[in-house]
Amino acid sequence: MRPDLNLDYALLVPEYILGLLALAIIVIDLMMPKIRKDALPFITAGGLAVAFAVSLLYIDTDDNFAGLLSIDDYTTFFRCFFIAVTFVTVLASAQYVQTHLRHPGEYYSLLVISTVGAIYMAAAQELLTAYIALELLSFSLYVLVSYAKMERRSNEAGMKYMLLGAFASALLLYGISFIYGASGSTSYAEIAAAFEGGTEGFTFGTLIGLTLIVAGLGFKVAAVPFHMWTPDAYEGAPLPITAYLSATSKAAGFALLLRLFSGALMPVIDDWQFMLAAVSAITMALGNLIAIQQRNIKRLLAYSSIGQVGYMLMGITALSPEVSSALLLHMTGYVITNMAAFTAIIAYHNASGAEDVSDFRGASDRAPLLAAVLTVALFSLAGMPLFAGFLTKFILFQSVADNGYFWLAALGVVASLVSLYYYLTVIKEMYVSAPPDSFQQEGRFRIPLIMQGAVIVLTLGVFFVGLYPAPLFELTDSVAAVLFTS
Amino acid sequence: METAVEQIPLENFLFVSAILFSLGVYGVLSRRNAVQILMSVELMLNAVAVNFVAFAVYTDGELFRGMIFGIFVIIIAAAEVGLALGIILRVFRNRPGTAGNVDEVAELKW
Repeated sequence: MRPDLNLDYALLVPEYILGLLALAIIVIDLMMPKIRKDALPFITAGGLAVAFAVSLLYIDTDDNFAGLLSIDDYTTFFRCFFIAVTFVTVLASAQYVQTHLRHPGEYYSLLVISTVGAIYMAAAQELLTAYIALELLSFSLYVLVSYAKMERRSNEAGMKYMLLGAFASALLLYGISFIYGASGSTSYAEIAAAFEGGTEGFTFGTLIGLTLIVAGLGFKVAAVPFHMWTPDAYEGAPLPITAYLSATSKAAGFALLLRLFSGALMPVIDDWQFMLAAVSAITMALGNLIAIQQRNIKRLLAYSSIGQVGYMLMGITALSPEVSSALLLHMTGYVITNMAAFTAIIAYHNASGAEDVSDFRGASDRAPLLAAVLTVALFSLAGMPLFAGFLTKFILFQSVADNGYFWLAALGVVASLVSLYYYLTVIKEMYVSAPPDSFQQEGRFRIPLIMQGAVIVLTLGVFFVGLYPAPLFELTDSVAAVLFTS
Repeated sequence: METAVEQIPLENFLFVSAILFSLGVYGVLSRRNAVQILMSVELMLNAVAVNFVAFAVYTDGELFRGMIFGIFVIIIAAAEVGLALGIILRVFRNRPGTAGNVDEVAELKW
């Protein structure tokens, strides 16, 4: 029995705010039908801004809630990170939801609830809490992916995501049960302590457990043998949800992986390192190669994001303080870049209904700003100098190579070169191909001010990370250090 | 008089749960009907619950964390079924004339 549980509820205030916000949105949607159409996203964004500001108060806290959630700089970093991503998604959704989706209240409140799940995935220091947080995020996403309920593609994407997701969480749970059996505990610190003493007598159980955990979490972050849901879910989901999937659901998976593997499973590193190295290598190679033949922009970005997962898994494979810091930096750069790309695509889609790469022909004439932003984002994803992608990838690959995985880093460089090809096909359509005939009558697309503002801010972020990364790098350094001190 | 825990080794429970789990995996891979796939996933989750409870009794006698985990697995499985059935219903309502098989739903490819 442990009488010294720390039940300090004040540690969880940002999540209370988010929970209340989710509830408030539904109530407002129900009670005030007149304002709901255009005001809801801005109410949501306001609430998220408050939660963001409150999260900042927890800088330098080092505490835990009942041994379940640790509230340290790592959690604070991800709180701000996920709330910011949801903020951008909500603003980018405003017009799309109004024209394409019904029931906006539940849409925004599910987004907010899934943010809580993502934050708790980063904060959990105990397997049951981590699992519940994971399901909170996943369940919200299952609904959001199939949100366009009259549209057959959205349904189909939701069903595939849901069935495969349930299968993967069953695998994950079976793995967790073996880790629990082998170590006698579900708390990360106690698992690490139990494994420190060696795993004789239950080596086989531990190995089954680790394999299934890698498989289950590999599914959630869309690593290659478990990636089959990704392109379908990305293509079928409403566009802002595709953006959200590619940012939050991936980053949350990695936040969980990083804390779990550095906290609980570090003593048995020899048992899982080779698995992750293999998964990372196939993910990079296959994701980038299949992306080449994609014709739909959402599918193309889905495979590109699978390739990116390969780079990030490299960081988990060669786990050490400096690699974790590089991983967090790369993740931040990737998410900013990806949100910029998707916000531009959403704005272009709102104006034109475009989804295929060929629909982007002549985009430089029809929407010069969006074409420029998309170009910057795609170059950054490919890892061209000047932009965020180059610098963060460089630091990540270098630290991975320094930690004994030179071949993995070399493969990453080759995969990046391959990725440049398919990013360039999109850029070619936008700048070289002539716009369709209808351009003469229609003229340029009108892009709402808020979307223009969002893409400009995100593009500045891409340049900021690419040109002056020192402050962000110091931040991720201190955040990653938290994981390795205890 | 020996108690049940002393008479029956832990391996027996793990063996039962491994069989259950394998049946579930086989079902997911071989069934065509969406609801049957869901049932197979439930079978896998039940195997997980058996595992957790067995480990809790045999290795974690005081804290019962495995029991609590088992209860949460059951609750989340119930929520999952509700959600999945809702989505599956919607899918096949939008496709009149289909029998609920997952291979009839194939608009998104490659």
